[in-house]
Amino acid sequence: MFDDVRIAIARRDIASLSREKTIVLALAIQVFIAAFSSFLVVGLTSLYDPGSVESGELTFGVAGDTRTQLEEAAQEAGVEVQQYPTRAAAREAFRRGEVVGVLTADASGDRIAVTATVPDGSVQSTLAVVKARDVLEALERIERTNRAASLETDPVPLPPEADASSYFGFTYTVLVPLLLFLPPFISGSITVDVLTEEIERGTLELLRVAPVSLTDIFDGKALGMALLAPIQALLWIALLTVNGITIQHTLSLVVLVSAVALLVVVLGAVLGLVLGRRRQAQLLYSIIALGLFGAAALLPEHPATVAAKLAVGSQTTVTTATVLGLSALAVGLYATTRRYVGSIDPEQY
Amino acid sequence: MRPRKILRIARWEVTKNAGGIDRKTAAVIAVTLLVLGAAAPLVVAQGGVTLDEGFYRVGVDEESPLYPVVESDSTFAVRDPDAELGSDIDLRIRGTQVIASDSQKGQAALAELRSSVGSYNDRVMSAESNQSAAFPVTVTLEYAERNRTTGGTDTLDTNTVGDGTAPDSGTPEDGNDTGPVGDGDSNGTATDGSDGTTPGDSDGTGGADTGGSTGDGSTGGIGGIARGLTGSDAMTGTPSDISPPFPFQSLILAFLFIIPLNFVIQAYGSTMLSERLNRRGELMLVAPVSRGDIIAGKTLPYFLGALLFEGLIAGGVLFLQPDSGSGLYALAAVVPLVLLFLSATFLGAMFARSFKELTFVTVSITVGLTAYAFVPAIFTDVTPIALISPLTVVVRDIQGVAIEPLSLLLSTLPPLFTAGLFFVLGAGLYREEDLFTQRPIPLKVLDSLAGRIHRRRSVALVVILLMPLVILAELVAVAAVYPISMGLPQPIWLGLILLSIVVIEELAKSLPVYAGFVHNRYDRSLRSALAVGALAGLGFFVAEKGLLLVQLLGGLPDVQQAAVVSAGPTAGIGPAVGLLLLLAPLALHVVTASTSAIGMRSGRQGYVVGLTAAIVIHFVYNFSVVMLVV
Repeated sequence: MFDDVRIAIARRDIASLSREKTIVLALAIQVFIAAFSSFLVVGLTSLYDPGSVESGELTFGVAGDTRTQLEEAAQEAGVEVQQYPTRAAAREAFRRGEVVGVLTADASGDRIAVTATVPDGSVQSTLAVVKARDVLEALERIERTNRAASLETDPVPLPPEADASSYFGFTYTVLVPLLLFLPPFISGSITVDVLTEEIERGTLELLRVAPVSLTDIFDGKALGMALLAPIQALLWIALLTVNGITIQHTLSLVVLVSAVALLVVVLGAVLGLVLGRRRQAQLLYSIIALGLFGAAALLPEHPATVAAKLAVGSQTTVTTATVLGLSALAVGLYATTRRYVGSIDPEQY
Repeated sequence: MRPRKILRIARWEVTKNAGGIDRKTAAVIAVTLLVLGAAAPLVVAQGGVTLDEGFYRVGVDEESPLYPVVESDSTFAVRDPDAELGSDIDLRIRGTQVIASDSQKGQAALAELRSSVGSYNDRVMSAESNQSAAFPVTVTLEYAERNRTTGGTDTLDTNTVGDGTAPDSGTPEDGNDTGPVGDGDSNGTATDGSDGTTPGDSDGTGGADTGGSTGDGSTGGIGGIARGLTGSDAMTGTPSDISPPFPFQSLILAFLFIIPLNFVIQAYGSTMLSERLNRRGELMLVAPVSRGDIIAGKTLPYFLGALLFEGLIAGGVLFLQPDSGSGLYALAAVVPLVLLFLSATFLGAMFARSFKELTFVTVSITVGLTAYAFVPAIFTDVTPIALISPLTVVVRDIQGVAIEPLSLLLSTLPPLFTAGLFFVLGAGLYREEDLFTQRPIPLKVLDSLAGRIHRRRSVALVVILLMPLVILAELVAVAAVYPISMGLPQPIWLGLILLSIVVIEELAKSLPVYAGFVHNRYDRSLRSALAVGALAGLGFFVAEKGLLLVQLLGGLPDVQQAAVVSAGPTAGIGPAVGLLLLLAPLALHVVTASTSAIGMRSGRQGYVVGLTAAIVIHFVYNFSVVMLVV
C-alpha cells in the first residue's frame, strides 16, 4: 500500500516531465553539451593535427647555411621539404603558395638559429606552426645527440611514434564523466523544483489530505528523480558503445552514477524542504553541488577520475573503494534524511 | 517609464519580494561559502583536479632510463613490468624498449609517453650547465601574409624585409628562459613589440605540463598569448616554446566573465516565475504602474548585481594580467552579454509552465548563450568572424590588443538589440491572460508575437523588429558551418550556409504572419493572405536594405560583411550594380512571404507546406545568384 503511494508520486513527477516534453529538452541539452565539448576538442585538435584533416600540400621551404641538418630533421619528423638556395628564393616560393612555410637555419655562435615563417591569420597557420615545431624538435634532438659530450646527462630516447587517436584521452577523461555526471546534477536540480513548487503553489497541503505522510512524499519524489539519472547514464553508455567507444565496467559505473544521483537528490530535497522557496534553494543547490564536485578532489580519487578509470579499465582498489564508499554514504544520508523529514512539522508550509 | 517608480519596485525586489533573502538563507549561504572557501586552498594545494591521474598503466622497472619520465607524469600509474600486457598494463618498458598493448588505449598511452618524454627532456636539459649544448636550436617564429593572386613583388608585406638573415643573437645566452625574450619586433607597431614579452609562464619547462588533462592543450605557451590579430608578432624560444596562435589563457579568463551570469539568472528566473504562481503578480499589475516599470524595476537589481560581479572579475583580471588592456572595453562588451542572459531568462520565465520547465529553460539558456559567446572567441586570433561574440572583445582586451571602436560596436550591437527584442516579446506576455494560465510554449511564442500585431500593417513592423534576432541567428549559423565546412567543397558549404540563412529568414517572415492568423487579427481570405505576405516581405526588405546601406556607408570588416550581407544576394557588389538588383530581392521576399501566407490559411499543416515551398524558392534564387556572381 505505502509502496504504491510512493511509486504513484514518483510516476506523477516523471509523467509531468514527459508531458511538458522537458525530458526531451533535457536530453537535447545533454547532447548539445556533449557535442559542444567534443566540438571544442575535436575541432581544435583537427586544427593542430594534420592527420585529422585533409590538409593538402604541407611542404616547407628550407634555406640558410645549415639547411642540410634541417632536411635531415624534417625527414625524421616526416615532413616534406624543398631546398632553396637563398632565403629570398624560399620567400618567393612561399609568397606564391608553393610551400606552406619557410625555415631558414643559420649557425649563430654555438647554436643553430632558425627563423620559421608561417602564413598569417589563416587556419593553415596553426597547422604550419605545429609542423614547424615537429621539424625543429627533431633538429633539437639530433643536435643534442651530436653534442652529447658536453652534456652531463643524456636525454631520454624518444619512444616510437604511436598510431593513436588524438581524442582517446579526451573521450574517457572528459566526455564520459561529463555525460555521466550531468544527469545526476540535473536530477538534483529538479528535486528542488518538484518540492518547492508543491510548497509555493500550496499543493503540498492537498497532497497531505490524501493518506500519505511527508516521508512518503519525500520518498516518491526523491526516488523518481534518483532513478532518472542512471537510466540516462545507461543511454549514454549505449550511445557511446554504438559509436565504437568501448565502455567497460558498466555495472560499476551505473552504481557510481546512482550513488552520486542519490547524494545530490538528497541535497536538493533537504534544501527545498528547509528553505521552501525555489530561488534560494536553487541558488544554494548549484553553489553547493559545484562546490562539492570541486571539493571531491580531496578524495583519494575524484569521482570523475573514478568514472574515467572504470570506463577505460584502469581501475585500482581505490577506485572500487570510492564507488562503494560513495554508495554507502548515499544510502546512509538518505536514511538520515528520511528520519529528518519524518520529524518536520508539515503545517509550517 | 518613470525612474522613481522603477527604483521603488527595484527596492521591493531586493527587500520585500516573496521570501527575499531571509536570515536563514543568508546564514546557510555564508556557511557554505566559508566551508568551500576553506576547502579551496586544500584542493589547490593538492594540485587541483586532475582528471587523468593514473589513467594509463605502465609496467616499468626502476633501472630503465624512462622510469623517471613515467614516475613524474601523473597520467601514468607505475606497475610491475612483468604484469600481463593488455589486461593489467598498457605499456611495458624494458630498458629503452617500449611495447604497447595491441589496443587503442595502448597506442594512446604510447603517444602520451612520447610527449611526456619530450617535456621531461626539456626539464632535465634546463638544469644543464652548458646551455648551448642543451638547447642547440633557437627559433624565431614569424607570421607573414601571402598573396597568391596578385603578382606584384611589393605585396610581400613589410615585416619580412626588416629582419634579414640574422635573427637576434642576443637570446642564446640564456636558452632556458621560460618567458620569451622580448624579441626583434620585425613589424612596425610598438604595442605589438611589447606584446612579445607577455609571459609564457603556463608553458614553463618546470613541469606545469603534468596537470594537463588531455595532453596537448596544456602547452598554451607564448604563441597563444603573445600573438595579436592586428599584426604579425614574431617570437623566439626553443622549439618546444613555439605554439600555434590560440589564446588559451585569455579564453579561460574570459570564461570567468560568464560564470557569475549563470547564478544571477537562476535567481532572476525564479523571481519572475514566482510572480506567476498563485496570481501573486496581480497586485503589481493592478497598481498604477506600467508594465515596463514593473519589468525594469524587477530586472534592475539583477542587472546591477551582475555588473558588480563582472566589475570585480575585470578588476581581478587586471590585477593578475598587468599588461592587459584597460578592462573598460571588456566591461563594455560584457554589458550586452549580461542583458542577453537576463532577457532570455525573462522570456523563458514567461514561457515556462512549472519550476521544472524553468530549470530546463535556464540550463538551455546557459548552454546556448555560453556556446554563442565562447565558440567564436576561440578563433579570436584566426579569423575576424570571431567578432560575432562580445567575448572576443573581452579576450582581446585581456590580451592587451588594441580594439577598434567599430569592432566593439559590431560585436555588441546585435546582442544588445536581441536582448531588447526578448524583453519586448516577454513584455507582450506580461499580462493577466498569459501570466496566470498554462499554455504550451509554441502557443505562447505566437502570443508574444501577436501581442504586437493589431492590424495588417503591424506585421511589417514586427518583421523589422525581429531583424536583430535574424542577424544573430545567421551569424551563429555561419559560425557553426564555418568549422564544419573546412573540409568540404565550395558548392556544398556555400549551400549549407545559404540554406541555414534561408530557413532563418523565412521563419522570421512567416511566424508573425502566422501569429496574426491564429489570433484572427485579419480574415483568412486569399486577398488578405497576399496583402499580409507582401507586407511581411516589404518589412523584411526594408530592414535588410537598411543594413546594406549601413554596410555600404560604413564598410564592415570582410567576414562580418559576408555574414551579414549574404542575407541578401547582393554581397560584394558595388553600389551601382546593387541599385539595379535592388528590386529583385524585394520581389523575392514578397513572393516567398506570400507563399507561406497562402499556405497557412488552412492551418498548421498548410503552414508547413507553404513554408517549405517558400524556403525552396528562396534557396534556389539565392544559390543561383551567388553562383552567378562568385
